[in-house]
Amino acid sequence: MDKFRMIFQFLQSNQESFMNGICGIMALASAQIYSAFDFNCPCLPGYNVAYSMGILLTPPLVLFLLGLVMNNNISMLAEEWKRPAGRRAKDPAVLRYMFCSMAQRALIAPVVWVAVTLLDGKCFLCAFCTAVPVATLGNGSLVPGLPAAELARLLARVPCPEIYDGNWLLAREVAVRYLRCISQALGWSFVLLTTLLAFVVRSVRPCFTQAAFLKSKYWSHYIDIERKLFDETCTEHAKAFAKVCIQQFFEAMNHDLELGHTHGVLATAAATPVEADRTEEEREKLRGITDQGTMNKLLTSWHKCKPPLRLGQEAPLMGNGWAGIEPRPPRKEVATYFSKV
Amino acid sequence: MLTEAKCSPGPGAGCIWPVWEIHPPHPGKAANRQRSTQAAAVMDRFRMLFQNLQSSSESVMNGICLLLAAVTVKMYSSFDFNCPCLARYNALYGLGLLLTPPLALFLCGLLVNRQSVVMVEEWRRPAGHRKKDLGIIRYMCSSVLQRALAAPMVWILLALLDGKCFVCAFSNSVDPEKFLDFANMTPSQVQLFLAKVPCKEDEMVKDSPARKAVSRYLRCLSQAIGWSITLLLIVVAFLARCLRPCFDQTVFLQRRYWSNYVDLEQKLFDETCCEHARDFAHRCVLHFFASMQSELRALGLHRGGIPESQELPEPPEDLDGGSGKAHLRAISSREQVDHLLSTWYSSKPPLDLAASPKLWRPGLNHRASIAAPGTKLCHQVDV
Repeated sequence: MDKFRMIFQFLQSNQESFMNGICGIMALASAQIYSAFDFNCPCLPGYNVAYSMGILLTPPLVLFLLGLVMNNNISMLAEEWKRPAGRRAKDPAVLRYMFCSMAQRALIAPVVWVAVTLLDGKCFLCAFCTAVPVATLGNGSLVPGLPAAELARLLARVPCPEIYDGNWLLAREVAVRYLRCISQALGWSFVLLTTLLAFVVRSVRPCFTQAAFLKSKYWSHYIDIERKLFDETCTEHAKAFAKVCIQQFFEAMNHDLELGHTHGVLATAAATPVEADRTEEEREKLRGITDQGTMNKLLTSWHKCKPPLRLGQEAPLMGNGWAGIEPRPPRKEVATYFSKV
Repeated sequence: MLTEAKCSPGPGAGCIWPVWEIHPPHPGKAANRQRSTQAAAVMDRFRMLFQNLQSSSESVMNGICLLLAAVTVKMYSSFDFNCPCLARYNALYGLGLLLTPPLALFLCGLLVNRQSVVMVEEWRRPAGHRKKDLGIIRYMCSSVLQRALAAPMVWILLALLDGKCFVCAFSNSVDPEKFLDFANMTPSQVQLFLAKVPCKEDEMVKDSPARKAVSRYLRCLSQAIGWSITLLLIVVAFLARCLRPCFDQTVFLQRRYWSNYVDLEQKLFDETCCEHARDFAHRCVLHFFASMQSELRALGLHRGGIPESQELPEPPEDLDGGSGKAHLRAISSREQVDHLLSTWYSSKPPLDLAASPKLWRPGLNHRASIAAPGTKLCHQVDV
């Protein structure tokens, strides 16, 4: 159980490693969907090509977009792109890095689908059965006597063994074998090409702009983690807010009831030290944000004016962004100075 | 060995999962201690898993959504499709099977999602001291609808990609002129034939190339429609995700925060009420025993007395051992609890913790009708 939880936490700790996991799952799902999908060639002259190309290209597009949709980084990318610069400059290199990394991961499942489709051969067979060279593979002498439409109709039925009636012209097995051969050759070439491309990109990239790449990678991880932490902090805050709100509600009820009674038999709501401590703890979690208006202002300024990437300076949130050439005097000293006056 | 040394709801676990504190009964019994630590470890793991699941309601809802989608896939694959192969019934059966289960799954998706109830409550409550923001309600509505639509879409897409429903529903609507094999048949024969296309084993259409051609054509069409719908949905989802930050990002952040808050507040209120009910019940029972004891003592004085040593201890004032729940113990009668609950509904406190409670104290006019604890409500005092 612990190990499972550790793995789960590790995968979720970083959006990139989480997406790697999702990618793997989607690639497996893609292969599984293909094997579960019942390929159904229409065996009609006009429809074969349309159907096969549709099956070859639509599911990869769907899988690619699904891979992008499931990646939380896409909305993060869009947010980072559209936010006002505020006090934090935008870096286009970081945006490019995020987009490339997302697109690379999302491309894996479509590549798997195309590879599996080509290696299986049914799609290719369905699309190109009318383009088989009958002259070389079958009875070439009978071809000139046939009108083109009739030839097309005959050949279109090659993928469907139960309705094929052109054995006198071209043995079905021969055509199927020929087309599957080409399809598998194409499939393996495709696999080789994509693997080679991925290998080249991965090994050659450090030769170019490695320093810039490291920076982009760091800041893209930073933005992802910052967003997650902000969401978590907001949730914590909401929880603390709700707890204090409800407690105040009960206390107000209690106070109300006390005032309404002359007997005073109720246990008084005099806070025990433990209760006072608990309330203080919850109030501390609120970090001073105790009403709806302030919270809304905080959320607005998080989007409109993100804090600068420079820690260690207590610049006011609503102020004009004191740049800080000299170290600012600590607040205590300022207070005592004024009090002397 | 589990002993009921203390029973209090664990933090964040609500009243569904009380935490039993486990104490070994005697220090010397090693075997018992080992078993109890093992039991404690198992319970602890379950509790952590449960807490993790409940910690973020968005991830819980996503999990439920995926579970429902998986159940849909299983249901579809185990359902035994049975086309009637009769002229008028085909379309009814096919379309019924294509559309009725998705409707049921959609309603299931709404039922299973806690947030739909929270949304309706937030919509219908009186404004009270806290104004209502329709934007939050719309946000919650769209989030609930999106999750509820996942399972129905899975069913529809599976049905279309499989093709049986489509073939059954539209076999009679096929144009016979597309297929040369129908040239020799009369129109009524053609209609009869077409109605039997979905049934492979029927005598009339068995091994007929015409049936296979029509079936193949319809399945093709069905799969094309299925993939097109999938593509459309995915493109819409992608655009929605990409383009959302371009519009009103700050309003979106606010609405997300406050809808999460409303959900958390409801959960915490339920937990607090559970705690209070437990406390109330405990005190009620102890008071009952104490009053029984004093009654018996009163009787005993006439009949010869109960020895003093059998006296029950007084109900301790500090029942929770200093955990500090004084604000719960003040509400101590049925009428008060009813009043509290109805005030919570009709007049929620404002979202301003620093405001003085005097400004919004609920129910100042209803004080008079609340009875003191321990007395019967035998008369009402007019305000």
